[in-house]
Parts: sequence; C-alpha cells; structure tokens
Amino acid sequence: MQAIEVSHLIKKFGSLTALNDISFSVGEGETFGFLGPNGAGKTTTIRILTGVSRPTSGTAAIFGHDIERDKIAARQSMGIVSENSNVYDDLTAWQNMIFSAELYHVGRKEREEKANELLRKFELYDRRDDKVRGFSKGMKRRLTLAIGLVNSPRLLFLDEPTSGLDVQSNLIIRDVISDLVLEGVTVFLTTHNIEEANVMCDRVAIINKGSIVAIDAPEALKKTIQSVQSIEFSFEHNSANQLDELSHLPMVNEAQKAGDKFKLYTEDPSEVINAVVDYAQMNKLKIVSIATLGPSLEDVFIRLTGLQRGEGIHAID
Amino acid sequence: MPSIKHRGWAERLSCEISAAWAIAKKDMRIDYLKPNIIVSGIFFPLFMFLAFALGKNTPPGTLIPGLISITLLFSASSIEPVSIPIERRVKTFERLLAAPISLNSLVSGESLSGFLYSLGIACLPLAVGIFIFGTPIVHAPALVISMILTAFCFATLGTLFAAYPTENVGEVMSILNTVRLPLIFISGVFIPISAMPQIGQNIALISPLTYGNDMIEYAYTGKSLFSPVLDIAALVIFILIFQITANYLYKKFNE
Repeated sequence: MQAIEVSHLIKKFGSLTALNDISFSVGEGETFGFLGPNGAGKTTTIRILTGVSRPTSGTAAIFGHDIERDKIAARQSMGIVSENSNVYDDLTAWQNMIFSAELYHVGRKEREEKANELLRKFELYDRRDDKVRGFSKGMKRRLTLAIGLVNSPRLLFLDEPTSGLDVQSNLIIRDVISDLVLEGVTVFLTTHNIEEANVMCDRVAIINKGSIVAIDAPEALKKTIQSVQSIEFSFEHNSANQLDELSHLPMVNEAQKAGDKFKLYTEDPSEVINAVVDYAQMNKLKIVSIATLGPSLEDVFIRLTGLQRGEGIHAID
Repeated sequence: MPSIKHRGWAERLSCEISAAWAIAKKDMRIDYLKPNIIVSGIFFPLFMFLAFALGKNTPPGTLIPGLISITLLFSASSIEPVSIPIERRVKTFERLLAAPISLNSLVSGESLSGFLYSLGIACLPLAVGIFIFGTPIVHAPALVISMILTAFCFATLGTLFAAYPTENVGEVMSILNTVRLPLIFISGVFIPISAMPQIGQNIALISPLTYGNDMIEYAYTGKSLFSPVLDIAALVIFILIFQITANYLYKKFNE
C-alpha cells in the first residue's frame, strides 16, 4: 500500500488553476521531497493531502484512506509540522504536547509517556513547564516537530523543518528525522534548502505553475542535465572585479562568486580549466584549489522551473 | 494504529467528545482565565445594563433577570470572535482544522469554552440578586435550564460569526455587533415585548434572546410571554441552526 496516492488532482480558485492535474505516489517508508517556486502549488497540495482544503477534482488517499470520504482515519495516521511553528504561546510546552495528543486521541498514559520521551529527545524537557512565549525560534521549531510526532504517525508532513534555525536545533531536528526514516516513517518534505532535499530524500518532485515537471531520485534528475557542469576554484588573492573577467572566458555560460570561491558554469569543463589556468598565469595569480562539479539538484530545479540564479532560488516555499 | 473508522461508534463518539473538551480546556487556559477577560466579561454587560436601566422607577431586584440575559449574551458570544481570528493569524487554527476530529467537535469545543465562561460570569448577577437584593427565584430548575440553553446558544452564535475568514478581530466584532446590539432592544430585556409595536413583536420572534430572557423572567416571576416548553424548543432550534451553519461556513471558507 502506498503512503500517499494522488490521482489527477485539480484545484481551481475561481479562474486561477492552482493545481493542474497532478498525479504521484509516495511509498511507505520513503522520504519524498516536494520542491517548487513561490506559488507553484506546494501549499495547496499539502492542504489537500491533510484534508484542510478540498480538491476541485481528482483524488488523494493516505494509506488507502480517501482524504475526502475517510478524512478522520486518513488524518489519524499523519503528523503535520507546519512552516509556521504554530504552537500556543500562552500554553507551556507540556500543555501544547498534551493538547495535541488529546486531539489525536492518544490515551492518557501513552500521551504522558510520549510527551516525556519527545520533550527529552528534543532537549526541551527542562523547559516543559515554561510558557512557549519565552522560547527561542529554534526551541519553538523543535516543539512543533515534537508535537507532530506525539501520535506516532506513519506519515509525517514536514514543511521547512530547518529553515532559519540555529545550529543546535538544526542538528537535533536532522538527527530525529534520520531516526524516523530508519523506523520506517514516511516523510513528505518541502524545503527551501535544495541541498537538504538532495541529502535527505529518496525521491523529489518539482512542481511549477501547478504541474509536476519532474519526479525522480535526486541522482537520476541530475543525470538529465549533465550539460550543466561547473568549475569551482579559488585564487590566493580574490577580488570582485575578477568575476566580470572570468565570466567572459570562452565556454563560460555563467559565473558566480561565493565567499572565497568562484564558480563557472559550462558544458566543457576541460576547456574552461585551461582558460582559468591561462587567466591565472596572465594575471600572476596563484590557484589555491580547483575542482570540477557535476550538476546539483539546484541546477535541475533552476532548469526545470525557468528561474534565474539569485532570484528566488532560496525563496521558494 | 487502528483507524477510527474501524472502531465502534461509541468509541468514536468518545474520541470526538474528548477532542471537543480538549479544545475547550485550551481556550479556557489561553483566553478565559485571564483577569482582564473576566473583568471585562463582568463589567461590559453591567455598565450597558445600568446605562439603560437606571432612572427607571423599578426596584433594583427586578432588573436581575434582564441583567442575567444580557450578561449571557455578551459573555458567551464575545471571546471566540476574538480568539479564532487570532488563532488564524498565528496559524494555530490550521492545527485544529487538520486534526482527526469532525468539524462538529471543533465548533462544539470552541462553543463549549464560551458556554462555561458565560455561565461562570452570569453567576455574579445571580448571586447579587440572591444575596444583595433578595430577589426570589420562583422556578429554580427553569432558571438553570434557561441559563444553560441561552449560554450555549450565544456561545454557538459567537463561534458562528468567528467563521468569517479573517485574521482581523475588528472585522468579526463589527459584524457581530451589528447583530448582537439590536438584539437587546427587541428581545424584551428593556421594553416588554407586549408593549412593542406589532412590527417589533414580529421581529422579536426571530431573536434567540427573546426566548432566553422570557424563560429567565418566568424563573423569577412565574410569568412569561411564551410557555417554557416553547422557549426551550426555540432555543434548541436556534442552537441547531447556529451549529449547522457554523459547520457549513468553516468547511466552505477553508476550501
């Protein structure tokens, strides 16, 4: 049985088509990434899959339970971690956990055990009796994830789990997600961080303008655009005006500077390496490091969505 | 984990009641037990009542039924139209909408907290009537039933108005007040319905406060415009209408 089965889903808001006949399935135990630019239809898809919104046509099922006809059973097996850290500021961490457990019909003894276990796992146990109002962003995020797990879900919807978090929270959350995957929990992940999706997901779907434009394993997607390769290098003394000169080297399609490194996109890496070495010699620059890189998932994303680098790649939701 | 569908209906009902109660407890913890909410719940209806009742040549004790009526109206219907738009703004309402509970439980849970808050607040004018003015209660069971039904009716009305899909509290309150304020003038609280012109009497029939106030009057004086059975039936019908409409609107506005 598939964890998620979506068939010919269409959602219209008046004359606007938010989802245009999308179909996909997510296997049990799979970690599935759902990527797309702003307004692509990700949030609409999640709202339909969690039964908050109704599709105009088409069907969606969670572990065989139709989300329209058998909504409560479908929801019972899922945990939802929304992007907004939607916890109650005026309740304590403990009260938030117990309230959510009550909503998901977790028995009294079990919910107290689960709340204790999760608050310890997310390093919030010592603050369990404090109102959430005084928590940091990272602590609220950890609590949101703990709440999403209080009913021991078989399927977890994770919306931007680590966006804008401190290192400690980021590490805790990633560790917990890794453990969940090992336990066989299905994870449906949307993230701004394409590298996060690349590392964590078995498969990703890229949605653009309401249609799914690609769906496959990250490595398989990268193979589809082998023409997008890059050279990454660093000179001993870098300066910003070198970027313009490097961008005019032969066979360079695009040049970027990130920190102390330059990155040149090309379809012919060996030709560009020669050009960079010549450029260094001509300008008496010492090359500190140089490497050829294959296409990243971000490159795939940009190619398929038609976005330009630097305008919204990290602002997708 | 066994799905709810495969459990018995009794267990399902128990789950729904527990979830509604959990929502009510959450609301009470967050909203109703705050000192400023309790104080405003007491003083707003009191001052409004005094503004219209003072100067009338009637013994103060006779004003208690009307004071209880408008206390129930304002306290039961005031908090959800504030708390639900705020919950929408901070996205916690989405958590409730996505939970494995029916909309009936969500609406009932929200209304339940307003109902309990309102009953608690209405005990104050009741106590003032008993202990300060010595206002006699002729039919105590009728008073209990009327207060319970009136409080639940207006709590459901508040939840119904809070269905309006906005994150702005002011928008909901302005719409609610255009309905709620006229109710106190056409429902026999200040002017007996029998003393109103015919058109006023006809309009009074569609106000739930008419029946709640009528039954509270009956409990205190033994006299009423309608029979207590009719008052109870009317209040139950209003509760069902508000509940069904609220269910429909919460579903519709979230599509």
